[in-house]
Amino acid sequence: MAKEPVRVLVTGAAGQIGYALVPMIARGIMLGADQPVILHMLDIPFAAEALNGVKMELVDAAFPLLKGVVATTDVVEACTGVNVAVMVGGFPRKEGMERKDVMSKNVSIYKSQASALEQHAAPNCKVLVVANPANTNALILKEFAPSIPAKNITCLTRLDHNRALGQISERLSVQVSDVKNVIIWGNHSSTQYPDVNHATVGDKPVRELVKDDEWLNGEFITTVQQRGAAIIKARKLSSALSAASAACDHIRDWVLGTPEGTWVSMGVYSDGSYNVPAGVIYSFPVTCKNGEWTIVQGLAIDEFSRKKLDLTGAELTEEKELAYSCLS
Amino acid sequence: MEQEHIILLQKILVLLFSVTLFWKIIKHMCGLLNIEKEPVTVLVTGAAGQIGYALVPMIARGVMLGPDQPVIIHMLDIEPAAEALNGVKMELIDAAFPLLKGVVATTDVVEACQGVNIAVMVGGFPRKEGMERKDVMSKNVSIYKAQASALEQHAAPDCKVLVVANPANTNALILKEFAPSIPEKNITCLTRLDHNRALGQISEKLDVHVSEVKNVIIWGNHSSTQYPDVNHATVKTTDGEKSVRVALANDNWLNTEFITTVQQRGAAIIKARKLSSALSAASAACDHIRDWVLGTPKGTWVSMGVYSDGSYGIQPGIVYSFPVTCEKGQWSIVKGLKIDEFSREKMDATAKELMEEKTLAHSCLV
Repeated sequence: MAKEPVRVLVTGAAGQIGYALVPMIARGIMLGADQPVILHMLDIPFAAEALNGVKMELVDAAFPLLKGVVATTDVVEACTGVNVAVMVGGFPRKEGMERKDVMSKNVSIYKSQASALEQHAAPNCKVLVVANPANTNALILKEFAPSIPAKNITCLTRLDHNRALGQISERLSVQVSDVKNVIIWGNHSSTQYPDVNHATVGDKPVRELVKDDEWLNGEFITTVQQRGAAIIKARKLSSALSAASAACDHIRDWVLGTPEGTWVSMGVYSDGSYNVPAGVIYSFPVTCKNGEWTIVQGLAIDEFSRKKLDLTGAELTEEKELAYSCLS
Repeated sequence: MEQEHIILLQKILVLLFSVTLFWKIIKHMCGLLNIEKEPVTVLVTGAAGQIGYALVPMIARGVMLGPDQPVIIHMLDIEPAAEALNGVKMELIDAAFPLLKGVVATTDVVEACQGVNIAVMVGGFPRKEGMERKDVMSKNVSIYKAQASALEQHAAPDCKVLVVANPANTNALILKEFAPSIPEKNITCLTRLDHNRALGQISEKLDVHVSEVKNVIIWGNHSSTQYPDVNHATVKTTDGEKSVRVALANDNWLNTEFITTVQQRGAAIIKARKLSSALSAASAACDHIRDWVLGTPKGTWVSMGVYSDGSYGIQPGIVYSFPVTCEKGQWSIVKGLKIDEFSREKMDATAKELMEEKTLAHSCLV
C-alpha cells in the first residue's frame, strides 16, 4: 500500500545546491525509499527558465517516487501544502558588499517567506534553512512566522558535522560510519566549534585514539571551519554536493529518528541549554524520535570548549542585533 | 522393490527440502547480522564535470547498485581538471556516506582502471563551436582507444562498461574494438536517458504517473536519428494494461511531435538551463547499470545500446540501441516484436548513420 505523498519545498531550486538536492529527494534519500514525494521548486523570476529546465529534467528522469513537480516563481503557490521546506534561496554575498548589506537583503527575503509559509504550508511543516547566514535567516523566519512552532524551524550544521566525521575518519584511517557523536556548536560560520570530546569510534573516545590534542584543538577545528572555502578554492564553485547530501541527512534523521546511541548536530531555537544565549538559532547535539528533536543534555563542557561555545554564541547575538537593525 | 524406491525418493525430497530451508535460514540470519557485501569498484571518467558531479553522490547513496551494496569510487579526469577533481573527492569525504568505502581521484588512467567492476565513461571531447564532425570524432576515437587498453589490462574480470560521452555508440564501438579481451556483451552505451524521456512524455500526455508506463523502445543511435517507438508500450489503467497507442488515440502526435520532442530533448534542456542535462543523464546511467546488474522487473524491458548481433535486420558490428531484459547480470535482446513499415524505415535510417559513423571513426585511425 503506497504511502500518501509528502510535499517538499526547495527554494532557490534553480541554483547549484537545488540541482544536487532535487534528484536526492526524488530518489527517496531524504524521506526513505518507500515515501512518495511531490516537489515544489521556487526561484526568482530571473531564474524561471532555468527552473523550468530543472522541472523538465525531473520529468525526464522518470523517478518512480516522484508524484508531482511544481516549478514556480510565486511564493504562495510554492508554499501551499508543504510538509517539509528546505530554504536554499538567499542573497549571496557579492564582492564589495558589506556584512550589513547581505544581512539586510536576506532579512527581507526571510521575512516575506515566513509569512507565506505560515499562511500556506501544511500544519507541522518542518523547516530547514540552508542559505547563509543560515542561523540568523532561520531566526528571522521564526520571528515572522509565529504560528509555526519554534521547534519546527532549524538551520543546517549537519554539513559541518559530516565534515568533522570525515576529518576524524581520515585521520584514524577508519570508515566514516564508524565515527560518531562529534558536535558542532553554534553558528554555521567560521566561529562554529567542532567538538570531539564526546566522539567515539566503536566504544573508544576519539581523543584517546587520535592521541594528538594539539591537532584536535587546532588544525582539526580550523579545517572544519574553513572547509567551505577550501572546496571553493578547488572547484571554483561552492560545495553543492555535500550540502545537498547533508540537508537530506538532517531531514531524514529528524523525520525518521536518529539511531540508538547516536546524536547529530542541528541548528535549533536555543532554550539556553549549556548556558548559551537563548532566543537565537544555535547548533546543538540532538537526538530525534517521532519527528521531534531533543537536545542531548548533561554533556561535560571543559574550559577550552566553554570559551568556544561562548564565542560563537556572542557572534549569533551580534547577528541578531544586526538583523533587527535592518528591520527598523 | 517399488516400495523401496518410493521411500528412497521421499527421503531424498525431504533431504533436499531441509537443505534448502536451512540455506535460506542461514542467508536470512546473515542478513540480520548485517554482514556486509564486498565493495564494488565503480569508475567514473570525466568525473570533474557536470554529469560526474551529479553521478557520484547517486553511486555513493546506493542508487546505482542498491542500498546494501558498499562501493569504492574511482574518479578520472584530465590534468587541467585535477584540482576540481580533488574538490569533488573532498566533498565525497565531507558527505560521510555510509556506503562509500573508498575514493580514488586521479589523472592516471591505469590507477583509475585498477580493479574496477563497473566503468561509466562520461569523459570525452565535447564539440566546440566551429568544430567539424570529423574533428570531434577524431579526438574521441583517440581517447576511447587509449582507455580501451587501460580497461582491458587493469579492470577486474567481467567489468561492465557504460559509455555516456558522445558520440556514445561509436565511442563504445571503438572501445570494444581496442579491448578485444573484454567480452563484447560487457560494452554498452547509454540510451536509457532517451528511454526515460519517452516514458516521461507519454505519462505527461496521458496524465498518468510515469511508473504506470512501460516498454517504450529507443532504437539505434543516441543522436537525432534515434527512433522512440511506442508500438509495444503499455500503460496501466483501471481496466488492466492497455496499449499506449490505443490509450492515447493520437497517432499523428505519436508519429511526429512525440518523436522529435524526445530526439531533441537534450537541446531543449540546454536552451532552458544554459547547461546540458547532467541530472537526468546521471540518473539514467544509474538506472542502466542497476537494471543490468540487478535485473529488469518481470514483463518490463529497457533500452540499452549494445553490440548488434543482427537482430531485427540491424547489421552486426555496430553498437545499436535495442529493447532488452536483464537477468543475472546479463542483457538479452527482446525478440519477435512486430516491426511495421514506419518503424522499419526509422530503424534503418539510424543504423545507416551508425555505419557512417563507424566508417568515419575508422578513417580517423589510419
